[in-house]
Amino acid sequence: MNTTQMRREFLGTLGTGLGGIALNALLRRDAFAAALTDHAPKAKRIIQLFMNGGASQCDLFDYKPQLIARHGQKFDPGSGERVEASVSLPGAVMKSPFEWVQHGQCGRWVSSVLPHLAEHVDDMAFLMAMQSKSNVHGPASYLHTSGFLLPGFPCAGAWISYALGSLADNVPAFVALPDAKGLPYNGRSAFTSGFLPANHQGTIINASAAQPMTHLQPPASATHITPASRSDSLSLLQELNAAHAAERSDDSRLGARIESYQLAARLQLSAPELLSLADETESTRKLYGLDQSETEDFGKRCLLARRLVERGVRFVQVWSGQGGGADNWDNHADIAKELGIAARRMDQPAAGLLTDLKARGLLDDTLLVWTTEFGRMPFSQDTTGRDHNGGTFVSWFAGAGVKRGVAHGQSDEWSWKAVEDVTTSYDFHATILHLLGIDHKKLTFRHSGIDRRLTDVHGNVIFEILT
Amino acid sequence: MIVNDADQNMLRAMATARLLRSIVPKSQIAFIVQRCSVSIAGRPIQRVIKSSVALTLYFVFAACAMSQQVDYARDVRPILQEHCYKCHGSKTQESGLRLDVKSEALKGGESFGVSIVAGKAMDSPLIQFVSREDADLQMPPEGERLSEAEITTLTKWVDEGANWPEQFARPTEDTKPHWSLTPLREPGVPNGAANPIDAFIHARLAENKLVPAPEADRRTLIRRLTYDLTGLPPNSEEAEGFISDKDPQAYEKLLTRLLSSPRYGEHWARHWLDVANYADTHGNDHDYARPNAWPYRDYVISAFNDDKPYARFVQEQVAGDSLFPGDPQATVALGFVAAGPWDHTLMVTVREDTVDHHMSQNLDRDNMVSTVMGTFQSLTVHCARCHDHKFDPISQREYYSLQAVFAGVDRADRPFDADARTLLERQGLLSEQRALRQPDAALLATLDSPEVKQKVATWLERRARQEKAWATFEVMSVVSTGGATLVKQADGSWFASGTRPEHDTYIVAARRPAGKLSAIRLEVLPDERLPQQGPGRWENGNFHLTEFRAFAAASAATEGATPLVFVRASADYDEGPAISAAQAIDGRNETQWGVHPRYGERHEAIFEIKDPSEYSDDTTFTFLLEHQAGAVGHGIGRFRLTASDELPEAIIKPLSAELATILRVPVGERTIVHRQELALTVLRSENERALNALPPSQFVYAITRDFPPDGENFKPSPRPRSIHLLVRGELSKPGDLIGPGTLGCVPEMPSELAIANVEDESTRRAALALWLSDEHNALTWRSIVNRVWGWHFGRGLCDSPNDFGKMGGEPSHRELLDWLAIWFRDDAKGSLKALHRLIVTSETWKQSTFANHGALSDSDNRLLWRQNRPRLSAEEMRDTILALSGRLDLRMGGPPAQQFISRGDATFMPGGNPAFLDYEHFDPDAPAARRRAIYRFIFRTVPDPFLDALDCPDGSAATPVRGASTTAVQAFVMMNDSFVIRQCEHIAACIAAQDNTPEAQAESAVQLILLRDARGAERTKLADFIQRHGLVNACQLLLNTNEFLYLD
Repeated sequence: MNTTQMRREFLGTLGTGLGGIALNALLRRDAFAAALTDHAPKAKRIIQLFMNGGASQCDLFDYKPQLIARHGQKFDPGSGERVEASVSLPGAVMKSPFEWVQHGQCGRWVSSVLPHLAEHVDDMAFLMAMQSKSNVHGPASYLHTSGFLLPGFPCAGAWISYALGSLADNVPAFVALPDAKGLPYNGRSAFTSGFLPANHQGTIINASAAQPMTHLQPPASATHITPASRSDSLSLLQELNAAHAAERSDDSRLGARIESYQLAARLQLSAPELLSLADETESTRKLYGLDQSETEDFGKRCLLARRLVERGVRFVQVWSGQGGGADNWDNHADIAKELGIAARRMDQPAAGLLTDLKARGLLDDTLLVWTTEFGRMPFSQDTTGRDHNGGTFVSWFAGAGVKRGVAHGQSDEWSWKAVEDVTTSYDFHATILHLLGIDHKKLTFRHSGIDRRLTDVHGNVIFEILT
Repeated sequence: MIVNDADQNMLRAMATARLLRSIVPKSQIAFIVQRCSVSIAGRPIQRVIKSSVALTLYFVFAACAMSQQVDYARDVRPILQEHCYKCHGSKTQESGLRLDVKSEALKGGESFGVSIVAGKAMDSPLIQFVSREDADLQMPPEGERLSEAEITTLTKWVDEGANWPEQFARPTEDTKPHWSLTPLREPGVPNGAANPIDAFIHARLAENKLVPAPEADRRTLIRRLTYDLTGLPPNSEEAEGFISDKDPQAYEKLLTRLLSSPRYGEHWARHWLDVANYADTHGNDHDYARPNAWPYRDYVISAFNDDKPYARFVQEQVAGDSLFPGDPQATVALGFVAAGPWDHTLMVTVREDTVDHHMSQNLDRDNMVSTVMGTFQSLTVHCARCHDHKFDPISQREYYSLQAVFAGVDRADRPFDADARTLLERQGLLSEQRALRQPDAALLATLDSPEVKQKVATWLERRARQEKAWATFEVMSVVSTGGATLVKQADGSWFASGTRPEHDTYIVAARRPAGKLSAIRLEVLPDERLPQQGPGRWENGNFHLTEFRAFAAASAATEGATPLVFVRASADYDEGPAISAAQAIDGRNETQWGVHPRYGERHEAIFEIKDPSEYSDDTTFTFLLEHQAGAVGHGIGRFRLTASDELPEAIIKPLSAELATILRVPVGERTIVHRQELALTVLRSENERALNALPPSQFVYAITRDFPPDGENFKPSPRPRSIHLLVRGELSKPGDLIGPGTLGCVPEMPSELAIANVEDESTRRAALALWLSDEHNALTWRSIVNRVWGWHFGRGLCDSPNDFGKMGGEPSHRELLDWLAIWFRDDAKGSLKALHRLIVTSETWKQSTFANHGALSDSDNRLLWRQNRPRLSAEEMRDTILALSGRLDLRMGGPPAQQFISRGDATFMPGGNPAFLDYEHFDPDAPAARRRAIYRFIFRTVPDPFLDALDCPDGSAATPVRGASTTAVQAFVMMNDSFVIRQCEHIAACIAAQDNTPEAQAESAVQLILLRDARGAERTKLADFIQRHGLVNACQLLLNTNEFLYLD
């Protein structure tokens, strides 16, 4: 084990995630952080919008006249390559049920199902030719969250928490905001710290639940627990623990545990303000679509994401859609209907977030990323749906260190496979880490005989979209 | 840097320019040139730039991009290994060039002389050949060429002087073996201690001028030992009893009691299941339950409690079915190989003919191989999936030979008989069944024997009788929910016409005379009026019966109708194993019975009733013939329902059409083939009846080669699948076909497996199991004693228990590790209990944690100058809280206890949405909440937040060593979790029942929770606290103390 890792593990036992936040300052000063950094970071924090289920690139951003021209014909890419779909037999070429219009100075095509985001294309840098190694939700989601097709590996948020910690001493470094309807594919494994110390796993906030953060408060039924009993408990506990630790002065874990209770108390105090949207103005609420039932959930979570990064959270992941067969972007049966719903729920809030971040100057050092685990087929499943397509999909970046109004890469004429400047989850993560000032090849952790990285043994920073 | 040859310049420049292109956008190249030009002090910059832009780039690159030295072992060898060794390695040396041996590589091959010129990359043929743009000269000639980055690495390495450390002068297998790959040789035990463990530990301490810490006090010892062996605390009486026991054997008595407690097996099984990565769901995106995983968990508990010798434990878990066919539990043990995660979507939903599906099979075996080899050999063989292992002498070929060992199995529910006699009987019948399925000449010869003839006669007679016994129901009405018209026909059947709904259910109301009802027969009949003459309504004549249900009500009222439960459904003809009559009673609308392509014929399905009852003649029977999912318009066209009162086991399955034809041939005209077919049918039917009469098998989720297919994509392989080496681990690059085998790097062990019959997959595993458990296999014995040591001390002698390779830890006490391995194998005969006893009776283990004399010289306590202070594990915490509240349910084994609510439609069991799992609101007083944590339902993708916070593994990956983090989340769960709070209420109630003053309560609470007397000031403060905030809060406070959470 190298010294960096030993140091880090030592600090890890003291806690850096939702736990040992006070150590963040120490961590940031620490030389090992510098060892990871070979350039000045452009982004301090990240909000990632994750479209769960495989958002259809050819119905949102990847305009292909060929699909309109050949609508209803047998799909034959002409290359002699085998055409295979994941769970169905390939159907006929299918045009998008939505209209296409060019937008902005950059003239980017966006389908009519995203009217709000379409207004912001000049702020975005598109990755038009992302490719996944898998056509299946489980592995593809793992790949895009953790860099590996299999379970057990830390996700990007955990790596970032491990590397940088949070920006303030009373918030966690990594927060996941799952859809009100449920967790994404792979459940809580989507926010796991894998083999990294447990304190780096994503703190889950269920924005719509009565108790958004589990275990933040005792259950209401425990009436014997009062503010006074809590405060007296804590002080007597600290006294007993201090006496216990005094006899074992060489065991730093005991002190760390005393500290962890103080941190918990600070978090508990800061949480209500953090989670409350009461001080947001009416126009802000409207901007995020909180006044409409369709956009309320995602809007609330986008707004919460902004509050979280404002208060020092490093990485916020906002999920659109739950795992499972419905209510997400996995539109096998009816693109017009199912994708329409998913898109309307997301479009205005995401655009609102971008507008708001910009207006507050946050976009200068905040990275906003929109992504999904894979795309969908240019041909139909049955008659109106689309099957999974790892061959090509679209993501976009906006904000800190990112060029505005550009696009990188291209899929083939069908939007079937990425062909030009193809990018992968490894490149995607390498770029995010790069913007945070981290060399993705240096951020490692020894596990089971291998120095593991978020980017496995791959990854190239996509400089083409960076300023 | 002297550059004087134009060609070389170009080569160099090309390589570097390619690299720059790949890492820097074009617009930035100029900027970098500028910036770096400045840094190349003293060089005639202008001239350089003028000479060639590409050349400039080279300088730029050399100066800026690669500041780090290239390392042969880390950077260079893997590249050579991947691209060159195949033709220029130990096996083949094309053009006389060998690149894995330093002297050979430097010398070069036959044609081009010295291949590596230190310091001059561009003069080195090695670099020239790999960087050629010209396809005819480029190396390697076939396959993937070197990447830009790889070429640059090699170039830089040569330019830096081709530093090739002597230790790597020869390929790994030729150099001094790594510590773990040396044979086991008994080291001499140092003098001076009764327990050899102490002898080794003390000797090393003395060498380092350290002394051991004194023995811990008795209160500490009983708490430590009880947790260590059982995962639970001692109670106050046990503690007091031990503390005051004057018997010199007091500690041994305690030890014996704890080792014979069933709690021991439960606790140590938990350790093992961490390594096996056991859980009750598959994991991944659709996290389906594994309702039959638990028998393996119970097997492990029993194995520890019964002190199963380790060699046997290894053998059973890899090939128990093959090596111990008479022992039912040896089959259950196979749950080990299947315990890890499995991707249901990839294996079942994704089409069989896709790349994703094939890759998932490969990764499935990868998980089996890495589980087996990581657990028993402490090797990271999975690192050799895409290329030879970069650090350890494990070739990719060997890795795939291990995949081939598991090439015949999948993970699925596997039947077993808990009772050995039933097992024996079943085995006999199953072997008879196999023989009858594919009869050989010998068997055919017996078919004309008098016994068989007699059997045939009896069978025919019974069949004739039974045919008569089918009595038609008196059908009062048939209603189609979809609006079809149903009309009764003269023969008692019903005919459907009119609307052909997309989906439909026929509701049949019927009566029959009083009597017993054992089976119901549904006949579907051909009819001229139906498409293709039916019997279905769809264009091709097919129908889909998604479910068949029946109810009995005491009168015409449908309320209070009791559903009839079927044990079996069989048909004369099924469309396929997944579209059979059985699917009409499986409770799932997505599956059905159909008869494609046998149209225009009569077919029948017989539904046998479980526990047949007598019914009076005013009983109303309601039947639902459902067609409620899948293809549309597939209603039944014409049908008839009849009933039988024969005992279910006497009911004869519907005859196949072929046999029906034979029976229509007059007896005298039947050919020998006819007679044989008839006899075989009878014998098969008898055989099946006997099998059905056996008590039902249990199931364990394990590896198996025989299981019912799940849909079109997941089915067993009739023979072991072919395994190809995959270049770079990619399916699109299959290399040689690889047969089953094992590693060559284990000393004194053959690299070949002695496989009895390579076509029988179980003999492949049997051979590997014997290889793994061989007394000469040094890794096996080192691995297990190291694990056990680690679980006793919080850290193994080698601190990476799943990695004894070069990248793993060095053992702190090599001789002790070897001595223990040999002692455990030879003296203890693989008894883990003997090993525990040896360890926990050592002075080393009994040392106090209070000592800091070694803190300066050995801050990590690797030399064990004191005992380590572990934190209670997640499960220990939960079990202890229940033990303290007196509510720990000590029942052992059985299906897992669900300690969560599955909200909504509760469909998570067959794979609904895990998001509906709710731990937070689960009743902490529910019976399931009271079971020991090892028996809880482990849901991979939605772990229990309380246990998760305390570093409980979530089942996503094997966990040979648990983390022990300290986080605010732990503080939150210990303060706010409803389970903790509710148990504190129970603990307080127990105390309050005995004591009524705050002082007495404070005293009792400390005694109960911390196992000691309260101290003066502490008692007063606690009593005061109780006075103000109650005893419940005080109990919770004590559970939050470090004194409770850490074991001295």
